[in-house]
Amino acid sequence: MPASRFALFMNLPTLVFLALVLAYPVAYAGYLSVHRVGLAQLRRGVFAFSGWENYGRVLTDPLFWTAIKNTLIFTAVTVGSEIVLAVMIALLINQTGIWTSRVTRFLILLPYAVPPIANGLIWTFIYSFQFGFLNRILLSTGLIHERINWTGVPDTALYAVAIPYVWRTLPFAIILVHAALQGIPRELYEQAAIDGASAWRRFWHITLPMLRQILAVILVLRTAFAFAVFEEILAITQGGPGDATWVAAWYSYKITFAPPNNFGMGSASAYILAFMIIVMAIFYMRVVYRRVTL
Amino acid sequence: MRAKSISARMLLHAANLMVIFFILLPLAAVFIGSIQSEKALQADTRRVLPLEFTLDNFMVILSKGQQKGHIFEQITYLPDNIKNFYAACANSAIIAVSVTFLTLLFGSFSAYTISRQRYKWMLFLLQANIVARFVPAIVLMIPLYVVMRSLGQLNSLQGVIFAETGFLLPYAILILAPYFDTIPTELEEAARIDGCTRFTAFVRIVLPLATPALAACGVIVFIISWHELLIPLILNARPDFMTLPVVIASLVGDVHVFFNLMMAICLLALAPTVILVALLQKYIVEGLAAGAVKG
Repeated sequence: MPASRFALFMNLPTLVFLALVLAYPVAYAGYLSVHRVGLAQLRRGVFAFSGWENYGRVLTDPLFWTAIKNTLIFTAVTVGSEIVLAVMIALLINQTGIWTSRVTRFLILLPYAVPPIANGLIWTFIYSFQFGFLNRILLSTGLIHERINWTGVPDTALYAVAIPYVWRTLPFAIILVHAALQGIPRELYEQAAIDGASAWRRFWHITLPMLRQILAVILVLRTAFAFAVFEEILAITQGGPGDATWVAAWYSYKITFAPPNNFGMGSASAYILAFMIIVMAIFYMRVVYRRVTL
Repeated sequence: MRAKSISARMLLHAANLMVIFFILLPLAAVFIGSIQSEKALQADTRRVLPLEFTLDNFMVILSKGQQKGHIFEQITYLPDNIKNFYAACANSAIIAVSVTFLTLLFGSFSAYTISRQRYKWMLFLLQANIVARFVPAIVLMIPLYVVMRSLGQLNSLQGVIFAETGFLLPYAILILAPYFDTIPTELEEAARIDGCTRFTAFVRIVLPLATPALAACGVIVFIISWHELLIPLILNARPDFMTLPVVIASLVGDVHVFFNLMMAICLLALAPTVILVALLQKYIVEGLAAGAVKG
């Protein structure tokens, strides 16, 4: 078999899957977004063309803009704190001769093993106003005297959801930074130590610049995924209290799958979300993901 | 490296303890929550560790609600989905194993050719894979629901397997491709001279050498599939086709379900992947790094 036909043969299954599960649904979502599609239309199988109506309704829906605002805050808070924490913890587990660092390194991947929906439910228990684990710890150690309603107050609910999300997704960032740390040549540090550079200067002038690439990777990947956060919202707050934790993916989900089941509007809002994320993806591909040859 | 001063060591130990506390907090909560009764939980709202332990929460789940133990004696209501625990486990396992197998099979085909051959359309394929990784699941699920509904494929395991495989293939290819780059081509060339076809050279020579990468990729795909909520939540609403995450999601907001019971089912759901991660940590770390940056 000639090489070119072999390549096609080997990629046929992937191409079929990409076409049926990715390309076609994306195109079809575009189709749905410019048609009027509710449950009744779904039953009959006839969708009336409605032009930009769905986009217009989404873009004039105050709840959509609340969801976008919450998504932006959520993304900024989680990604920002993850990058800072990932660098700090990666440096921490990279320490030699500190036995607790070895314990941390051993445990670091555990949150990755917890299903997101279970993680959400566990934190619902942690945050519970009456019976919650967190209030118990804080009360019994005397740090607080009154129970705190962590997720019930609009001002703090979004941050209360951000913490479980950071907990679950932080291992990924730590592992990438830790791997990148191994790639920094030792001689750089030895030379700097001979020159009498302080630990802080070594970090600022050697470690951080050498981590620039991996931090860009983490920034783009985590931003894209935080934009589509869903499970923790579903488990902990269901968008509440009020609309304090409505985020973009939750908006599309509720508009589509909760009565009155507006599939057209749901698709339009999901398209807007996807557009924002894809712009980031292309940036990632062009600037960050290293593919030297080919 | 210079020896660290005592105060620096203490500071590092303290920082480690804080990180360890943060990592273990939810795991402690789910464990402690699952081994006590609602009564014990409500009796003293300041107590962290319960006075008495019980396995009743697990027993009621594992006996499909038959053996109520003394906690649930008075309880008449148990969500049906909890009684479906074994079916949900089986569905989750069948889906995760099938998705892992299909993804590794087709993913290694693609990753191998992407690594070996340089055609224009393959560059495009690789780029499509990178972009595909970013497409949020919700965008795909709305049209997939409509399509599956019209095909009569809602509430089926194969529908979910198909969707998840398509969803995870791009990621698997990104994890595997850099690894195939590191396998020297001389071996396959020698096999070809000895009369192997391209395909048998790939299966007999290259794939065995790629076992570590396949392990890394396989365990990551298995974990993601075991954790996946949105795809089965939307496609499989009927109780007999629910996966574990869907069963857990169905308990959200049910005010009649005890926290303790929820924690017990969460613990049962997270146990398999926690064990996997504990055993195969090294592979997962390598796979995650390879999938994010071409190594």
